Amino acid sequence: MSDRPTNVRGTGRRLLRRGAQGVRRTVARRPRLFFYLAILGPGVITANAGNDAGGIATFASVGADHGYKLLWILVPLTLSLGIVQEMCARMGAVTGKGLADLIRERFGVRWTALVMLALLIANGGVTVSEFVGIAAAMELFGVARYISVPIAAIAIWWLVVKGSYKRIERVFLVMSLVFLGYIVSAFLAHPGWGTVAREVVHPHFDLTPAYLFTIVAIVGTTISPYMQVFIQSSVVEKGVRVETYPFTRADVWIGTLFSNATVFFIVVCTAATLYVHGDHVDTASEAARALRPLAGPYAEILFAIGLFGASMLAAGVLPLATAYSISEALGFEKGVSSSFREAPIFLGIFTFLVALGASIAMIPELPFIRVLLVTQVINGLLLPVILIAILRLVNNPDLMGKHVNGPVYNVAAWLTTIIVSALSLLFIIISIKPGLFQR
Amino acid sequence: MLYLSQVLGRPILDLEGERVATLKDVIVRLGEGDHPPVAGFVARYRRRDFFLPRWRISHFGENGVRLNADILDLRPFVRRDGEVLLARDVLDKQLIDVDGKRVVRVNDVQIIEAANEWHVTGADVSLAGLWRRLAPAKLRSHRPVEVIDWADVGYLATDAATVQLKSSRGKLARLHPVEIARLAEAFSYQQGAEIVESLDDETAAEMLEEMPAERQAQILGDMDEERAADILEHMSPDEAADVLGDLPEEKAEDLLLRMEDEEQADVAELLPYADDTAGGLMTNEFVTLPLDLSVSESLARLRKMAETPNMIYYLYVVAAEDSWKLVGVIALRSLILAEPSAPLRHVMRTDFQVAHPDDRAGDVAQKIAEYNLLALPVVDEAGDILGIVTVDDAIEILLPKDWRQRLPRLFG
Repeated sequence: MSDRPTNVRGTGRRLLRRGAQGVRRTVARRPRLFFYLAILGPGVITANAGNDAGGIATFASVGADHGYKLLWILVPLTLSLGIVQEMCARMGAVTGKGLADLIRERFGVRWTALVMLALLIANGGVTVSEFVGIAAAMELFGVARYISVPIAAIAIWWLVVKGSYKRIERVFLVMSLVFLGYIVSAFLAHPGWGTVAREVVHPHFDLTPAYLFTIVAIVGTTISPYMQVFIQSSVVEKGVRVETYPFTRADVWIGTLFSNATVFFIVVCTAATLYVHGDHVDTASEAARALRPLAGPYAEILFAIGLFGASMLAAGVLPLATAYSISEALGFEKGVSSSFREAPIFLGIFTFLVALGASIAMIPELPFIRVLLVTQVINGLLLPVILIAILRLVNNPDLMGKHVNGPVYNVAAWLTTIIVSALSLLFIIISIKPGLFQR
Repeated sequence: MLYLSQVLGRPILDLEGERVATLKDVIVRLGEGDHPPVAGFVARYRRRDFFLPRWRISHFGENGVRLNADILDLRPFVRRDGEVLLARDVLDKQLIDVDGKRVVRVNDVQIIEAANEWHVTGADVSLAGLWRRLAPAKLRSHRPVEVIDWADVGYLATDAATVQLKSSRGKLARLHPVEIARLAEAFSYQQGAEIVESLDDETAAEMLEEMPAERQAQILGDMDEERAADILEHMSPDEAADVLGDLPEEKAEDLLLRMEDEEQADVAELLPYADDTAGGLMTNEFVTLPLDLSVSESLARLRKMAETPNMIYYLYVVAAEDSWKLVGVIALRSLILAEPSAPLRHVMRTDFQVAHPDDRAGDVAQKIAEYNLLALPVVDEAGDILGIVTVDDAIEILLPKDWRQRLPRLFG
């Protein structure tokens, strides 16, 4: 005792035994984490982020213009979305790196520049659509877009740069849940469920520009390029690894099914309420009418709340995510807490996208639904670039080891890519020469 | 001076100036000085890669490589230990710039000739370097480049397992463990683990303590068990107990049993307490002094201690030499200012604040903030001191998560 005059507490067999017990008790508390991962993991969040202003506009007009006729496309689309999302989630878990990171490290500068340009344009388009969504939502409340859009843009910029966006994000998220009202509304509208069931399994195809335009928009809004980047980053950030990956895979598929189920009901609902009367959707208030079976005279308010929440959410996240991706790939300094001098390009991209979105949304007489559809088409046209990069990465054994795609899976994934590319190509050709396929 | 991007894909010429192959990669050997020398080249001929040793080359420049003999050894290229391929392992990868304390991406590699040897001198991380590879030669700008001296490269994030920089160990250690932890966030979890493994036990322990709890557990869980136990011994007992609590049961027991007896007992003592209680927050490294000492005897004991705990601003007075019964608290300041001959019982405070091991963590943190304490003793029903909760643990609880992680990687 005398050579340790001052006690640093410790030692003793009794204590050790107590310790071993403690290990057991602590471990028993853990499963909560996995439970959380499975319920509200990156997959569910990402897939449902797809149902933003552009998504709602696209599917509302699909239902209104084409009735149930395009419902069949949701089946292959759900599969494709799940497959694409799963590949990115798997890459995140196996490599621990973001998509932009991997593209740069594996494909070098030129490919990176191409992919990042595609991402910048696609995300720029989507950002525009979010601000258009904000404008439309506020106009339903009677606020002119020249007031609402600049205020929203400045507020978003300020909240993100000051780092307090994260706390407000949840409010927007909850507001956007209003769109789940379409599900209830779909049932209340009493659609012909027999017809609906028949159309789901009955594909048909038109080679008209209008039809192709709609399909490319549907693909673009469902499998948006940003979603791939988004899900891989969230998986990496969550620290998901190969051992816990099965939870994430389940999460991805649950998210995909859930989000496309929502989409399905939006189409059914608008078809049952608007298409049957021969109405088209050109403005936000027309899209809101599909909620009448649920909310009656309050349909517009309900719709406006949902649209505003979803648009504000994405209008902050998208420019930020784009700036992160590009900075990550090209090696610029990044982070919202940095000052303009430390991270000029990062904050520059973010600011540019917010400003771009806001200024386009303020153009007078902007056709609401049309603009939203066009941005989704741009997404669809640029999607093949990202898909090809993803497929080449996920099949690289140096990177993925034994977690490369299986043969069946690979066929499905390549088929998705080829079909999406062919659709985009076809759409471009037909837009240039409209009469090409008509006798 | 050459840039890697200017020589890749250039022809390899024989004695007559005929093109025999294409330059695919440049091989350097790490660990030989601050600026590793070029050891050879990977040449590509008809979809096959073969090795060209340095001594086969008579000229190396922007126009390509010239051989000094007509004999070519066409055996396929195999990477040897310690060799790095500049195009494959360095270009486009991230590295830690020890001087600038940041993570950067390599846009190009600078090679300089000195005394008939070529050496890698730096990594170009500027936009100009990027542009050099993107734009055709005509459009090249002559803007100044920003080059990281290779001597400041602390860690190279590459997949080539054999090249892990043993030489980087000393360089990374120039950074504070907190900085290393912050920089490691930019890398994948595998690379983060690699960085931890490359450090000495003590730095590794300090760096781990700065990382999120789950990440600590992941890294230590994947590591060689003996090494993990060594690192755990260097962590403070409360942090080590938290990590073990995050690991699967068998793994945690295994690591615990591999630790040295003394550290093992310290950690084991803390394990039973739930995370969100005073017991879970506390550490058992603190100093006790028996009541019958004088001020000067107490100071003498402190000086004589082989290893003082981090927290000695408060000294805990117990009833007797072998007792844990807490009777008073003395701030180091009062001890130093007090009359040397005064007995402790006259200098100590007896109206101190305590926590019970089952108290909620949030309440404990609140109490520390409220009474402006640096530490709060945790005392059981019998009045024995079990440990102390220090102010830094309290801060972690009181500050919102966003504040502690000022640099989120993506959203928000």
